[in-house]
Amino acid sequence: LNAAPGRAPRQQIRFLPAPAAGGGGAVELVAARVPVLADHPLVRGPRLRRLKIGAGHRLDVKASGVFVLGIGHGNKLLTDLYNCHLTKVYTVSGLFGKATDDFSDTGNLIEKTTFDHITREKLERILAVIQGANQKALLLYSNIDMKTQEAYELAVKGLIRPVAKSPPIITAVRCLQFALPEFQLEIHCLHETQQYLRKMVHEVGLELRSSAVCTHVRRVRDGVFTLRDALPRTRWNLQSIQEAIQNCQLKVETELEKTLG
Amino acid sequence: QLREDEEAAPVFQYAGKAARRKDRVFVWGFSFSGALGVPSFVRPDAGWKKPRRIQPTPYRLETEEKISSAACGYGFTLLASNTRDITKVWGMGLNKDSQLGFQRARRDQTKGYEYVLEPSPIPLPLEKPQQTRVLQVSCGRAHSLVLTDREGVFTMGNNSYGQCGRKVVEDEIYSGSHVIHQLKEFDSRVVQVVCGQDHSLFRTKKGTVYACGWGADGQTGLGHFNITSVPTKLHGDIAGVNIIQVSSYGDSCLAVSDEGDVFGWGNSEYLQLASVAETTQVNVPRHLPFKIGKVKEAACGGTGNIVLTEEGNVFVWGYGILGKGPNLVETAVPEMIPPSLFGWSDFSPDIRVAHVRCGLSQFAALTNKGELFVWGKNLRGCLGTGRMEDQYFPWRVTVPGEVVDVVCGVDHMVSMVRSFT
Repeated sequence: LNAAPGRAPRQQIRFLPAPAAGGGGAVELVAARVPVLADHPLVRGPRLRRLKIGAGHRLDVKASGVFVLGIGHGNKLLTDLYNCHLTKVYTVSGLFGKATDDFSDTGNLIEKTTFDHITREKLERILAVIQGANQKALLLYSNIDMKTQEAYELAVKGLIRPVAKSPPIITAVRCLQFALPEFQLEIHCLHETQQYLRKMVHEVGLELRSSAVCTHVRRVRDGVFTLRDALPRTRWNLQSIQEAIQNCQLKVETELEKTLG
Repeated sequence: QLREDEEAAPVFQYAGKAARRKDRVFVWGFSFSGALGVPSFVRPDAGWKKPRRIQPTPYRLETEEKISSAACGYGFTLLASNTRDITKVWGMGLNKDSQLGFQRARRDQTKGYEYVLEPSPIPLPLEKPQQTRVLQVSCGRAHSLVLTDREGVFTMGNNSYGQCGRKVVEDEIYSGSHVIHQLKEFDSRVVQVVCGQDHSLFRTKKGTVYACGWGADGQTGLGHFNITSVPTKLHGDIAGVNIIQVSSYGDSCLAVSDEGDVFGWGNSEYLQLASVAETTQVNVPRHLPFKIGKVKEAACGGTGNIVLTEEGNVFVWGYGILGKGPNLVETAVPEMIPPSLFGWSDFSPDIRVAHVRCGLSQFAALTNKGELFVWGKNLRGCLGTGRMEDQYFPWRVTVPGEVVDVVCGVDHMVSMVRSFT
C-alpha cells in the first residue's frame, strides 16, 4: 500500500528572495509555488505504519471457513453487523464410535462404543427434536409478549429473531451425508461457538446410544458473506482484497438498512 | 503409542442391532384429583417431597403394559392395553360416581375408594377374559365407556341421564356401585365410542351412529330434547351416510363421512353450527357446507371445533382461544391455521399435521414427525408448555420421544410416546 503512488505534496505560495532585475546586490521578493517540505516523503516517512483490522465473529484454531475482517473505517460496520443477529451456516463432519474429552478427534479418548444400530432415520429424528427445542428458545429470547397479535404475526412469518445477547440457538439442522461411521450435518445457528457445535455432535452421539466426535467444522456462511466472497490463501494480496471490499460494499449496505432500518 | 492405546481400548455396547424403541406414557396437568396417576404428587411418600398441585411439563408414568388407548375425563383418566391378559384397563382419578368401576378399599373392604391415585385395574365382567381385547376407551364428565372387540361396549359411572345406556333408576347412589352395564344390540359391530359431557355416542362398522344420554342441548341428535336411556340410531343428514369418525367432548358433536363431509349437531351457543342453523341448539345432525376440501379428521371441544383436511391443513371455528392470535375470539366459518406455525418451512417442506385432538378449551395437533403442538386456555397447567399463561397460537411441547397419540381432558393431558432409539 505504501508503494502505491500517494497524494501529491501540498503546494504553498512563498515569497522567495531572488536577485533583482537591475544590477547590484538588491534583493527582491518573488512569489513562487513550492511544495511544502513537511509533505516530502523523506520527511514524512511511510504513509501507513499500522492498519486497524478488526475481526467479525470468532473462528477458533481447529475450525476453518469464512472469517470476516474489517479494515480501518470498516470496523464501525462490524458492530452494526453484529447487532443484526444474522445466522451463520456451518458444515460439521462427525465420526461415530468414539468419545473424547474435547469432543474432537484429536483429544484424549474416553470411550469407544458400537454404532451399527444407527440409521439415517434415527439421526434425522434427533435432529428434528433439536430444531424443535431451539425454535422455542428463539421465541423466548426474542423479547416479544406472547399474548399479542404481533407475536402471532411474527411467528407465522418466521421473522422472530433474538434482540440481544442470548445463549447459542440453532435455527435449522440438516443431515447432508450419512455413511457409517462418518456423517455430515449442515447447521444454521446464532451466537454460537465452534466448541458448542462440537459438543452438540457429542450429544447427538449420546442420544443415539453411542458416541460421536467432531472431525471438521467449516463455516460456510457468515451473515451476507458466503464462500464465494471469501478469499483463499493464494489470493491474499492487495489487488484481490480491494476487489473483494468493493464487491461486498453494496451487499453489506443493503443488509444493514433492511435489518436496522 | 497413542494410536495403539486407542486400538486396544475396550468397546462398549449400549444398544444392539435389535434394540427396539420403547413405548412410554407421559402425563401433565392438574394432579390433586389423582388423574395423573402419580401418588407422590398428592400424598408425598418421602420427607423432602412436597405435594405438587400442577405438573407443568410432561412427566413419565410407569405402566405395566404397553398402553394402546387412553381417555381423559373430567378429573379422571382411563388407560387401556391391547393385551389378552386379564387386566386390560387401568383407571385413576375421581371415582365418586364409580366411573372407574368399584375399587375395593384396603382398610374397609365393604367400601370403595373415592379418589384413585395410582393406575388401578378395573375389573370388567368379560365372558372370555383371556380372549377378548379392549380396543378403545372413552370418558365423559362422570361416566366411561370401554369398547371390546367381541363383547360389545361396557359402561360404568353416572347414569342420571341414561348416558350409560341403561334405564335411569331414581335416587340411585353411584358412589361405590358395582354396576357395569354391557351393550350389545347394535346393527353391526361398534368400532368407536365417544363420550360427551353427559351423553354417549357409538359408531358402528356400517357407518351408523347411535346415541344415548342427556339431550337438552340436542347433543343426542335424535330429534328431541329429552333423555334417552337406550342407544338409538341417529338420522337426519347422516342417514345412509357412511360415517368414519365421530367426536365430542362437551355438548356438541361432529361426524366425518368417508367422502370428507362434516356433520354437526348439539349445542351451537358458540357459533359451532351457526353456518347452518340460527337456533342455539340443533337436535338433528346437519351437514356443514364448508368449502375447505376433503376432511380427514375432526375434533369437537367445549366451545371450539377443529378439523384436519386431506392436504394437511388445519381449520378452527367456534369461540375461545382458537389459535390465530388474541384477536380471533369467535368465528362461525372455519379459519385456517398457517402451516408455518407447525414447523413447516422451506428448510423442512414435508412436515404436515397428522392428527388433531380437542380438550374442553384446548387444542392439540400432532405432526408426522412426532411433534406435539398445543394451544388454548391453559387451565391449571394442562397445556404442558411449562408456563401458566394461555397460549394464543400453536406452541411446541418438548416431549423426550416421538409422540404417537395425545388425549386432552379438562385440566390434564395424556400422551403415548415412543422413545427415539
